[in-house]
Amino acid sequence: MEPSFREDLLEAICLLTRDSQRSPGIREIASAVDKPEGEIQSGVTTLAADGDVILGNAGTVTLTATGQELGNRVAKKHETLQCFLSEILGMDRSSASDEACVLEHAVSDDTINRIGTYMQSPPRRWRMGQGEAGQDASPLPALTDFNEGDDLIVSGILGRERASRLLDLGVVPGERVRIKRKLANHALVVQVKGCDVALSPEVAASICVERSG
Amino acid sequence: MRFALIGNPGVGKSTIFNQLTGLGVEVNRYPGSSVAIETGNVCYKKEKFEVIDLPGIYSLDGNTDEEVLVRGFLEKGDADALIAVLDATRLERNLYLLLQVSEYQVPMIIIVNKMDEAERSGHSIDTGRLSGLLGVEVIGVAAMQGRNVDRIIPAALGTARPATVRTPYDHHIEAALTSLEKTLSTPRHKNLLALQGVSQDPLLSDTAGSIAREIEQRHRMSVHQIIATNRHNHSRALAADVVAIGERKRSFDVDSLLTRTMPGIPILVATLGFMLLSVFIIGSWMERIIVSAFTNGVITPFVSLGLPPLAAQVGLSLLVALQAGLGIAFPFVFTFYVGLSLLEDSGYMTRAAFLADRAMHRIGLHGEAIIPMVIGFGCTVPAVMSVRILKTRREQTIAAFLITMVPCSARTVVIAGIVAAFVGILWAFSIYLIVFVLIVISALFLSRITPGEQFGMIVEMTPLRCPQARLVLAKSWLRIKEFLFIAMPVLIITSIALGLFQYFEIIDAFQAIVEPLTTSLLGLPAYASTALLFGIFRKELAFETLAVLAGTANLGSVMNGVQLYTFAIISVLFVPCVSTIAVLYRNLGARIAVLASLYSLGLGIFIGALINFLMK
Repeated sequence: MEPSFREDLLEAICLLTRDSQRSPGIREIASAVDKPEGEIQSGVTTLAADGDVILGNAGTVTLTATGQELGNRVAKKHETLQCFLSEILGMDRSSASDEACVLEHAVSDDTINRIGTYMQSPPRRWRMGQGEAGQDASPLPALTDFNEGDDLIVSGILGRERASRLLDLGVVPGERVRIKRKLANHALVVQVKGCDVALSPEVAASICVERSG
Repeated sequence: MRFALIGNPGVGKSTIFNQLTGLGVEVNRYPGSSVAIETGNVCYKKEKFEVIDLPGIYSLDGNTDEEVLVRGFLEKGDADALIAVLDATRLERNLYLLLQVSEYQVPMIIIVNKMDEAERSGHSIDTGRLSGLLGVEVIGVAAMQGRNVDRIIPAALGTARPATVRTPYDHHIEAALTSLEKTLSTPRHKNLLALQGVSQDPLLSDTAGSIAREIEQRHRMSVHQIIATNRHNHSRALAADVVAIGERKRSFDVDSLLTRTMPGIPILVATLGFMLLSVFIIGSWMERIIVSAFTNGVITPFVSLGLPPLAAQVGLSLLVALQAGLGIAFPFVFTFYVGLSLLEDSGYMTRAAFLADRAMHRIGLHGEAIIPMVIGFGCTVPAVMSVRILKTRREQTIAAFLITMVPCSARTVVIAGIVAAFVGILWAFSIYLIVFVLIVISALFLSRITPGEQFGMIVEMTPLRCPQARLVLAKSWLRIKEFLFIAMPVLIITSIALGLFQYFEIIDAFQAIVEPLTTSLLGLPAYASTALLFGIFRKELAFETLAVLAGTANLGSVMNGVQLYTFAIISVLFVPCVSTIAVLYRNLGARIAVLASLYSLGLGIFIGALINFLMK
């Protein structure tokens, strides 16, 4: 059996057990991993032979301690990767999930741990509601660091309070913006979702962006 | 049956409202709110229906007065059906609010307005498909041309139903919503708000708060941000499905002139200058006509009635108050409102705010504060009312203080009538200069001592367009009604009180008490204090009373240049008029009203004494 198929199966059984608090049947597993039931049946039989699962009488599949551990590890990798791809890199949720499904089989434990640590205490710019914009030399550039005509992607917004109106107007992580006007004092007009929005310099400085494309 | 129009600012709700309702529009304050909403009636098949124009909002999750009002309105189910208005040229952004409104499960129909503009820019919108996606009827409308406006009421009557569209939220949010719904059995939209920290229910906000903290820990993002991102992504997907973007025709971008420092700033100064000057010229012309007509038609006949002295005094005070109200409201305030509505409806005001941002930052405010400041040149009362648009208490306080110092049209009358006429036109301009310097100094001082956080400007630039005469007039009319509603009672009460003081000779006692101050400190004749006191009632009354008390309209013959100049500058600075104090009290509380009055009183006397001392 392919190692990735094995991991997918264990992950699915692990999640299904966790959600429903009982051992899942073949049909549930098949719909969770989106494979035909026959293939699942033979996969589960192999898993049972390896001592990862125990097959119940009513067609239920129960994880053994080793299977539980492996399944949990894969599920955690998936969660960490998906969270990283969508929240930090700004990908949309469903493609982040799809990509995490592929990456989870190849990624090393060390990488996952490092990503986890990174998300626990990200660089200052990512922290919410702390500090004033522009005071710290952050590796992430702000909107004010770019010029008229630049096409950018929002990567994050500093400061929880002032974010509210920005969010309403569509300045959210992952959104494309274009600088339409920049005055000498760094007051900006940006185009977002087809609308022009005027921003004070301190508001513009609190929006972290990166160049698009 | 009641219908309510809901949508983003600038989507053309007012245009549709005006086309539906015609005349007989009422403005009401929603209970417990400072926001005014318009209500009108529409007849269809011989039946009368009520239409409410809710204030334009960007979101239902915020804490601005407008958002709280609309949220309360939806929660109470105060409308039988909603008419949600979307802007065809910015459909994606507009769908964001629509997704939120849909969560309230109120029956509704959707109007996609400005179809004509979208077509001109090459976009086409498949309203049928949008209707399928959202689960409610969608009508494409071009309100400016009246296209399809007649279909709105029949649709609202016949096919309004709750939307079936549902935003797919992040799985943690969805899990939280499900668990809140199961454990507390609260509706989905309330749970969403509670997760974002907006809830009145202590149990719900407690439970939701701890779940929200967990989610935030995990995502390193506020729940508000996650939810907003999900909604924007869903509206993008919806918009992508129904909008076909064609070739956009390139046209000259006027903003390349208006939003650059050059020539934007000179254009801004010229526009505002032109507006104030025309208001002043048209205003003084109209005021003369109204005041003399009122004097000849009402006051003179009343005086010749020969009533008993007390009744005559009270009656006269009442009439003088009416004259004052009409004499200032229609010529100056109304003309000014027309100019202001033109600037707003054309979309120029947002450009002005953008350009003014820099200067305003220096005095602890930001670009949006230019709007109340400009209104202050017309009349202080509506200017104070409009500080609501500033987001923090700190900015509202600073702006309100400064507005009470901006020379309103009534104070311009004093400056023109006393200084320009008897001392010299350049001296008149020097008063403006002194006032501006004082405003800047006060602003620097206030921005240091006023507690609170500064909040930058985040303003959507409304597209430039030609204002419609009918809407401009309707808007100005509603505003003048609001002005009269606040100012008139105060004017009448104060006028009668002053009349009674005069009748019982309390005024003379006052004059005697403050005489040492008036004559030695300010170097003015004793009767000037009475004139200043009347100035509190209505600023240009200071000038008129002075002429009456001096016994001649030729003030130059009884007071010297320094005295006239001192008198004018004191009455310009000295205590805002009673209507202003009333509106300060209403909008910002008693403390600010008292502080602003005392501050300007002290400033007026100090500057007056200083000028008297320096020039003597």
